[in-house]
Formats: sequence, C-alpha cells, structure tokens
Amino acid sequence: MKRTRLTAAVATAITLAFALAACGNGDDSANVPAPTDTVPADPTADPDPDPGPAPEGATITMWVAGNDTPQELRDWLIAEFAAQNPGSTLVIEEQGWGDLVPQLITALPDAANTPDVVEIGNTQTPTFTPVGAFREISPELFAELGGSDLLPSFVEIGTYDGRIYALPYYFGSRYMFFRSDIWGEAGLSVPTTLGEFTESAIALTTATQSGFAIGGQDWRNGISWIFAHGGNLATVEGTTWTSTLSDPNTIAGLEAWQELFLGASNLPVTDRDVAYWDFLNDGTDDTPPLAATIMAPGWARWSIGHLDENGNRDGMADEDTFDIFALPGVDGGIAPVFAGGSNLAISAQSQHPELAENLLRIIFSEDYQRMLGENGLGPANANYTDSMGDSKFARTMIETAQASRLTPAAPGWAAIEAAFVYEELFQAIAEGGDVAAIAAEFDARLTPMLNGN
Amino acid sequence: MSTAAPPLTALEASRQPQPIRKRRRPIAPYLLIGAPIVVLLLGMGYPLFRQIVTSFQGFGLAQQFGADAEWVGLDNYVNVFTTPEALAVLWRSLAFMLVTSFLIVGIGLGIALLMRVVHGWVKVFLQVTLLLAWATPVIASVTVFRWLFDWNNGVVNWLLVRLGFDGMAGFAWFSTPFTFFVVAAVVIVWMGVPFVAMSLFAGLTQVPDEILEAARIDGASSTQILWRIIMPLVKPVLSIVLLLQFIWNLRVFAQIRLLQDGGAPVTDTNLLGNFIFQLGIGRQDFGGAAAVSLVVLLLTIVISAPYVRSIMKGDSK
Amino acid sequence: MSAVTPDIIVDPNVAKATGLPVVRERAKITPRKRATKWAFSLLGLIVALIWAFPVYWMVLSAFTPNAQLRTTTPQFLPVHATWRNFEAIFQEGSFWPALRMSLAITGVTLVAVLLFAFLGALAISRFRFKGRKSFILAVLFIQMLPAEGLFIAQYRMLASTGMLNRVWGVSLFYTAAIIPFTIWMLRGFVAGVPAELEEAAMVDGLSRTRAFFKITLPLLMPGLIASGVFAFLQAWNEFTIALVALPANSANTLPLWLRTFMTASVARGVDWAQVMAASTLIAIPVIIFFLFVQGRMTSGLVSGAVKG
Repeated sequence: MKRTRLTAAVATAITLAFALAACGNGDDSANVPAPTDTVPADPTADPDPDPGPAPEGATITMWVAGNDTPQELRDWLIAEFAAQNPGSTLVIEEQGWGDLVPQLITALPDAANTPDVVEIGNTQTPTFTPVGAFREISPELFAELGGSDLLPSFVEIGTYDGRIYALPYYFGSRYMFFRSDIWGEAGLSVPTTLGEFTESAIALTTATQSGFAIGGQDWRNGISWIFAHGGNLATVEGTTWTSTLSDPNTIAGLEAWQELFLGASNLPVTDRDVAYWDFLNDGTDDTPPLAATIMAPGWARWSIGHLDENGNRDGMADEDTFDIFALPGVDGGIAPVFAGGSNLAISAQSQHPELAENLLRIIFSEDYQRMLGENGLGPANANYTDSMGDSKFARTMIETAQASRLTPAAPGWAAIEAAFVYEELFQAIAEGGDVAAIAAEFDARLTPMLNGN
Repeated sequence: MSTAAPPLTALEASRQPQPIRKRRRPIAPYLLIGAPIVVLLLGMGYPLFRQIVTSFQGFGLAQQFGADAEWVGLDNYVNVFTTPEALAVLWRSLAFMLVTSFLIVGIGLGIALLMRVVHGWVKVFLQVTLLLAWATPVIASVTVFRWLFDWNNGVVNWLLVRLGFDGMAGFAWFSTPFTFFVVAAVVIVWMGVPFVAMSLFAGLTQVPDEILEAARIDGASSTQILWRIIMPLVKPVLSIVLLLQFIWNLRVFAQIRLLQDGGAPVTDTNLLGNFIFQLGIGRQDFGGAAAVSLVVLLLTIVISAPYVRSIMKGDSK
Repeated sequence: MSAVTPDIIVDPNVAKATGLPVVRERAKITPRKRATKWAFSLLGLIVALIWAFPVYWMVLSAFTPNAQLRTTTPQFLPVHATWRNFEAIFQEGSFWPALRMSLAITGVTLVAVLLFAFLGALAISRFRFKGRKSFILAVLFIQMLPAEGLFIAQYRMLASTGMLNRVWGVSLFYTAAIIPFTIWMLRGFVAGVPAELEEAAMVDGLSRTRAFFKITLPLLMPGLIASGVFAFLQAWNEFTIALVALPANSANTLPLWLRTFMTASVARGVDWAQVMAASTLIAIPVIIFFLFVQGRMTSGLVSGAVKG
C-alpha cells in the first residue's frame, strides 16, 4: 500500500479543496488563495510597506534601464545617498530596455508603488512629458545641477511647453569603423566630405563586399544623411508638429543615402541596425570580410578585431587593419549623427520628491559624472567629458556627440517607433523608389502620428 | 507511458453516456464549481470588465495618468472596421490562422500515428524531442530560427545552395511578406506540433487494440483500419485540438514580433496580436486596443460556434 | 457495460484508457511487417531529428564564444566548446533568486490549477445542474480573449491590494488564465472513469472518500499529469503579467531574468551566446519536471489501481 509522493500531494490538495469549497459557500473571499500572512517563503517583501511621508527614514527607488550603469556605480550611488541622507535608503531596480514603456505606463501613475527616479530612453521621453508623468525640474534646481552645461539636445527632448521634466543621464554616439587595409589597397584615404565617402564606398563595392554595409531599414544611422544636408525630420510650432520629409534639404539627404545604399550596400532592404561588425571581421574560416566600412555605436569596437586565444575579439588592436573615422559633413567637418542615450526624471507621483532631488544632486556631482565617463558612458555635463580618456575612440565619440542630433521631441514619437514607420520609409527608399513621392506619402502618414493622433 | 502526453483523451470519446448520479443535495455541483468560479471572477472578471468599459472610451496615456476618460460610443469599433490597415490585418490573421492550424493538426496527427507503429525507443526519442521543442523559451526558439534563415550565414540557405539551388545564396527570407510568413509558419508549426502530437497520441491509445485485431482478422487493410476505425474514434479529440489551435493561432503575437525585430516589412506582416500591442502599448490608444481585443473574442466565438455546438450536442445526449 | 467488481481493471477498455499494461496475444509478425516497422521507425527518427535540430542549435550556441557564433560556413559540431557563457551567467548571480521565484509561482499555480480545474471538471461531468452549460461555455470563451490588453487592469488590482512583487498575486492571474483550458481537458478524463466503479467499491465497504482515493483518483492521474505539464509550461514561460506585476529585481521570474541578456544599448551589444545559455538553463527544469512526473505517474497508477 505504498502511495507515491505525488499522489499524496495531489490527494492532500484535493482534500483541502473540498474543505475550501465546502466552507466557501456564501463567503467568496474565503476562497481567495492568497492570505498574505500565511506565505511561508515569500521571497520578496514589499520594499516599502508603509509609505509614510517622513522625509527621514524613507526608502526611494530608482529604476535604471538595461545594464549600462555598472554595478560599482550603483553601489556608489547607494552608499553616497545613505551618507548624505541619514536614515534614508536608495533601492536601485534594473528594468529591461525592451519593455520599459509598459512598465512605466503601469507603475508611474501608481502613487503607492511608483519608482521615484527613472531612467528612460531619450526617444521615449516625449511620450511621457505631456501627460504629467514627471515632476517638473525647477529652473533653480536645473541651474544647480549643471544648467547650460548639460547636453542641450537631451534637455530639449525632456522639455515640454517650456518646462523641464527630464535631464540627460548619459549619451553614446555613432561613428564609422573601417578596414584600413582594404581602403589602403584601393588607394583610398579617410574621406573629408560626405560626397567623397559615397564615392569611395561605391568604388570598394563588389558582389561579395559592401563598400559600406547598411541595412535598408536602418533609419537610426540613415537619418545622419538628412541632418548632414541640413534637413529635419519634423518641425514644431507651439505644440503642433509637422513632418518635413518633403523639405528640399531633407530630400537631398534622403537621395544621397539612396545613392549610397544602392551603390555600396549588399544588405537586404529589410535589415535594421544589425550586428554590422560581423561583416567587418574576417570569417572564422579565413574568408574575406563582407564589408569595408560600417557605422555603429562606439561599443561595437569590442566585437571587432582579430580573435585572441580565448576566442574573443581584440577590440581593434591591429591598427593597420581596423580603424575609425567620424562621418564627414557635406562640406567637410563632422556630420550630425543620431545620439543614443537616456534621460532621468522624477515621477510626479513620488512620495519623497526632496529625496529624489537629492539623488539627482548626487548623480550630477562631478564625482559621479566622471565615473560615468571612465566607464565609457558620455557624461551629461560637458565639463567632464575629458574623463572619457584621450584614445581615438573617446575623442571621436566626443566629437561626434557634440555634433549629434536627436529625434523630434514630439508626443507621438514612441508610437511612430512602435509602428516602425521610419523603418518602412527607409525601406521604400532603399528599394529605389522616387524619393520625393515617398517623402510626400510618409509626411501625410507621420504628421498626425507626431501629434499623438 | 503514453499517458505522459498531455492528452485530450476521452474528452468527447467516452464511448457510452455516463449515468448521471442523482444526488440528494443538488448543492454539491455548485460547491464544486464555486472555487473555480471565484478564481475566474477574480482573475479575469475585473480585467474583462475594464476591457469592455475602455473599448467605449477615448482612453490614452493621459487617461492612464488620471485625466477623465471621454465616452466615445462605438467609435473605437467603427475604426477597427473602417481603417484599411485593420481590415488587412484581420484577413491576414484569419488566413494565417487557418493555414498554421491545419498544418499543425495535420503534422501532429501524422506524428501521433507514426508513434504507434515505430519501435519503442524511437517513440521515446520522438516524445523527448517534441518536449524539448515545447519547453524551449519563445525568445530562444525565434532567435534560433532567425539565425537558421539568415540571408548571409543561415543554415537553410547554405543547405539549399548545397542542394543545387544556387539562387538561394544570400536570399533574404524576411524581406517580402510571403517568405516572412513562410518562416513564421515554420516557427509556429515547430512550436505547436508537440502539444497536438502528444494529445492525439494519447487519444489514439484509447482505440482498443481488440477492435483493431478483430478488424485485421476480418481482412481489413491498414488504410481501411485507419480511415474506418481509428479516425472516427479520434475525431472528437481531433476537433477539440483544432478548435484550440484556431483560438491560439488567431492571436499569435510574440513570435511575429520577435521575427519582425530582425527587420521585416512590418505593416504587411502584422497580425491581430501585434496590432493590439501596437495600438495599446505602442500608441497608447488603450480604447482602440480594447475594442480590437473584443472583436477578436467575438470573431473566435463565431469561428468556433459550429464545433462548440457539436461538442455540446454530444455532451447532452 | 462493465461488471461492477474491482477486477474491472482488467477490462481492456478501462485498461487502455489508463495506459495500464494489458496482456494480450500478439499477432504473427511477418518479415514484411518487420520491414514496414523499420521504415516507419526511420521516418520517425528523421522527424525527431528535424524537431531536435533547433534545440541542438540553441545548446550548441550556448557553448560557443559569442564572437564565433555567426560563421559563414555553419559549424555543426562544438569545436570551440566553452563553459564561459554559463560561468558568466552564474557569476552574475541573479539566476538562483529568479529560479526560486519561478519555482514558487509555478508551484502555487500548478497546485491551484489542478485543484480548481479538477473541481470544475468533476462538477460538469458528474452532475447535471442548472447553469452547467453556461459555465462550460463561459469557460471556453474566456480563453479566447487576447491577453495583450489586460495587463493594466491586472496591475491595478494587484497594486491596490499590495500584491505587487508577491507570489500569490501573479499566481492568481496565472491560475485564472490556465484553468479554462484544463477544465475542458480534465472533464474528459473524469467522464472516462465509470461512476459505477466508485459505487462498486462503496458496496464493497469503502467509504466514499476512500473509494474516491482508491479507485477514481488513480484513474485520473494521467489527466491530472497531462494538465499539470501544460500548466507548468504556461506558468513557467509567462512574461507580460510578470513584467508589470513583479517590478522589483528580487521578484523577477526566469523569463524576466532572460531579458536582461537581451539588452543592447549605449555601452554594449547583445551577447547572444549568453542568451542561448540562459535559455538552455530555463528549459532544463521543465525537462526534469516532465521526467519526474512521467516516472511517478506509472508507479502511482500501479500502486493505486492494482494494489488498492
């Protein structure tokens, strides 16, 4: 008469259910399988079960997005916050980039559970500023935290109706990675104008080698050509946005990009911002690289180079084979590129706004700003960019970032990204269509979306 | 062993109507369903109620942050049926649902039948591989399939070129809606077949061997046995499985979303699940998203009505 | 119809329905039949290999350095095999808390689903009562509602009752989402156990409860286990509700934990080799669970039905 454990477990459970079902009649609440106090091994207690308004002894929560903020920086923030705010505690929770928006949509309006300070992607910020999700950063506080030294384009995207709601946290930038050996063999040198780059890239293109590998849907890199020609994605009057793809400068930029894509890239028209660095490396079976040039964020460096004994890339140690340059402007100089990075904001529902502001003071202190730079993250305050070091990578990143641009601070921007409209715009252009006609078609589609309709 | 599968066995296949126990206390069944009903009401009741309310409101991000929601009547529903994009998504989803559901059930039935006639160790091997496919997280499955179908270094193109299809070198599977859906169907079928195959196999084990033996002795061929004896007996299970596939495949979401992330013609490859997600989380048009969700619910009810009717008929006899 | 004594167990119908071994004569095996069987087995092997290949590719990638993941000529064998992806994951340290959370939520959901679905199935297959049909239909239709739009309301429910970041709140929603399907599934199994069996045992002097545990429950085990596997996989892999209802890192489940490997941003790209290693780790408990219940099920049947 041996009964197995599982049978016993199920049997017990069913007996229990009969009991529950029996006494549950007429008393619905008795059937809720969730009496909190009987939880034996609840792995998490609510971090702040008693949100009392006491400024001292309170716990505030900061959400960081993704794993960019290194652990030692988080530890430092927690320790520094505790030191400067005796009795109070900072809790840092990491949220994934991919699903940040649904998490913010649910948590920010909830006074009892909202994070106090949040990191948010710079293109996501304008979605939340008009609806009152964030607490205004007063002009006095803004000046105290760095004021005009803070990266202006990131401040602008955090501004709505003349009030500042979000500040820059850190930035990254994009530049060109290229095979100096291949360029050299073809007798080509680093281009000084955008037109020269296009010519060189097309000259380097064969059936198996892209002179410049870029995916057809890759608008994040592609919009640099619009900015370089003096074009804009959209303009604003008051709070009304208009898509300006049909602007002659924008069209000139899109046509230049089209010429480049058709002549120099073998990638599919539907490829996005993919792992381009794979194309720049020699194949592991010693096949030649698939591309002579790519455009990528600075960290791509660590995926480029020769393989070391552990099977990792050596980070472009061989300068005779791999090198970088900043995308040149139409008439020389540096072309404006799209800057990656994020903003910081205080939740409007925060129960401890003073403590949240204290946290911002710590984050915008010289110490922390320098720590960001030392970890390869562009610091928000321009005075401390030298902390990024003096390598060519740091120099190029700072140069390109200074010339960088952001997407429009329109409330509907997140909706546009979610619907992949610019991906489809660039795909249509990559397929060789008439740029003016495509621009007009997408202007009509984008203008209402920009305004959140 | 066979019962390890997640079968819908006996579901409708109870071969004789059960004598219904007459209880003196008619309260017993209500006690029994009391607990599940409470759970369902708690877990689904309020969310469903909110969904219905929201679908009649202009409910956006501002409303989520406390602004008053405005009643818009049937506007959200009218939009679903008047924007060409929404209608295209609707038809595309129906077509995709039909194709993948029949493929999954067809292949699943084939594998289930196959499991009856192979050696024991092959059967176990098949069951374990099916379970592995079932247990793999969606993110990993879709990523692997994206690699397998990569234009540049995917195994599929490599294999096709090896087989002599030189034109497939560098073929970009995700660049046109049709080939995109070919890959999407492969992913969905790969992920969906294990459940169906294992359920149907469990259902098949209910076909008494004695009947088959008798039929064989009477000289029936294998084909005749399959179509005259086995199929009628598993038909009830089969139709339930197909119904569930309809329900699940009409709202496929994560797989399409993850495939699109690699770059695809998005507007032309969106299905209902993606459309709801894009409206809700993407554009924060929660009213519109709720309306589409409820339309999907009604649509599924309409599609499944014939099945449900026949199931209920068999039930009450 | 069956006789009403416990030896009914050897009735082939019931025995087949429950997977019990039945002794029967084998038909004569001709060489031709043997060849056919081998042909089918070969086909079965090919199908198994096709289904296994993507999983193999995942595991292979989990053992490959990220830099060598994408080669122009596919590498079908682990020539550069390394444990480093797994080491990196374990060093980072958040795997074990997430595993604990996932096990807790999945365990609670599993028990609740089996319990409530069983009760519901028992009611609709053993009794005729007013509202029965409405209940069956409501249960069927509930699972047709797309889940993408429900998370806001679900978040509000949990937040207003202080249930965020807790096992119980999320488990309630998982249970509610999974029981409709399992009620339908179990209903057939309950109907498959003749009520006379139980009554016969009671005639033999067993109490109703004992008759239930000795006779009915063992016969239901395959159905309960089948539902259990389904419920386990659903709860194990759920993402959206967990995303909004478990915002604290310490309360993350494994699917939430997996996404931390999917992040590409300002300072790094996605380490796909680690994503594959993490996915492999997530799949392992499911396999263990399956193998465990498969073994238990067979012995449970034997001890319960035959000895009891």
